Amino acid sequence: MRNKIFAGVAAGAIAAVGVAIPANAISDTTADLYVLHAVPGLTVDVYVNGELTLDDFEPGDLAGPLDLPADTYTVAITASDAVDDSAPAIGPIDLTLEANMSYTAVAHLDESGDPTASLFTNDLSTVAAGEGRLTVRHTAAAPAVDVLANDAVAFENLSNPDEVKADLPVGTISAAVALTGTTDPVIGPADVAIAEGVNTIVYAWGSASDDNLTLAVQTIDGLHSNPTGVDAGTAGLAADNNNGILVAGLGGLAALLALAGFAATRLSAARAAK
Amino acid sequence: MAPRILALTAMALLLAGCAAPPAQSITPKPVASPAPTAVIDVPRQSSEIAPVEQVAAPVRIQIPSVGVDISIAPVGIQPDGFMEIPENITVAGWYQYGSSPSSDTGSTVITAHVDDFIQGLGPFSRLASMPAQAEIIVTTDDGVDHRYQLESVQNVQKAQVPLDQVFDRDGAPRIVLLTCGGQFDENVRQYSDNVVAIANPL
Repeated sequence: MRNKIFAGVAAGAIAAVGVAIPANAISDTTADLYVLHAVPGLTVDVYVNGELTLDDFEPGDLAGPLDLPADTYTVAITASDAVDDSAPAIGPIDLTLEANMSYTAVAHLDESGDPTASLFTNDLSTVAAGEGRLTVRHTAAAPAVDVLANDAVAFENLSNPDEVKADLPVGTISAAVALTGTTDPVIGPADVAIAEGVNTIVYAWGSASDDNLTLAVQTIDGLHSNPTGVDAGTAGLAADNNNGILVAGLGGLAALLALAGFAATRLSAARAAK
Repeated sequence: MAPRILALTAMALLLAGCAAPPAQSITPKPVASPAPTAVIDVPRQSSEIAPVEQVAAPVRIQIPSVGVDISIAPVGIQPDGFMEIPENITVAGWYQYGSSPSSDTGSTVITAHVDDFIQGLGPFSRLASMPAQAEIIVTTDDGVDHRYQLESVQNVQKAQVPLDQVFDRDGAPRIVLLTCGGQFDENVRQYSDNVVAIANPL
């Protein structure tokens, strides 16, 4: 009986694997790289190792994932009408990507408003069942900020280009960003969904002095874990061998009902077996 | 005003200078460099905040061959990490964090208690007696009936249940019905097995 059971489960497993689409393409030899354009008002081209990789990349655009062999890559960001990467607006910078890791390279403004680029590592570790991960990254030309969730300070004193993160129960939070020590939002509030098994990465970007601070959101799924198990019965009424099942705490009527139900189950099970 | 007049005068002089026949140049006109094209096509998306896509939730399950017709409620996780299951044994629980019948991939997991001291045996006690290829109909809250055909129904020792396969989210769409069975341990009031029924879309 048990062998047959496993054959059945295994067959299901094979069917499942046949069409599986990995949420993340990382492997023991490759890394995932996303690229986010968070410099306001500047359409750019992105060159990787001298080759044009992202043409006419607009502010607010998110590209990727690029599945790249683990290595060090030179990234240069140019004006969109450049013919090569010899006169980059940002960079060139060297990005070292390790296997089995996920990264987001962000072209953004530093605190004083000058274009720069930062490489963030995306946390793909699994989250508990029923939870999602919230990551907040400060990539705006603005001083340190507090991140408010549902009107309460969730993360304090986050500076450009740092990040904070936490695993949270599934739900929707009203997220806002205020300059540290104040509660008046400079961004938001905006509803951000915390989805199960998803790392929701929120970027504060733009410029405080140009009054164009805003949020960008990147999501990476597939970080879920499974329930520990399924306990779907407490009385023993459906047991295969229910020696003594009826002794413990069953009243007369319940016992009779149980017996009847049990007998019916056994009968139909026997029929099914034939 | 005066600067503008000066500027206009200067411009007129310049124009006059240009009017003289230019020397013939032998320098070839530059050809506009062709804009380079990207070496690979990288997927792009907007990073604007998007509303969460709600999948249609299953609300009713019918298994005519064994007389099951009960409602389904969305459930999640208990504090101890086990799947939540409705107390009422005539209501099944749908693992809302996993796939739904409307999902393109993955297993829709639906569980009900097999029994309860007060309520007696539940409808899912009849999973074990489903005939081969039994039809299972799951209705979602958008009114769509999703029809499935039973592939297998098995008893699996709880410790051996391949939870990553039961709760799979990336494989072919299917439903997995779960309840308890096997032997009952009076001391911990738990069954030894899960009854695991797998059905594929018709």
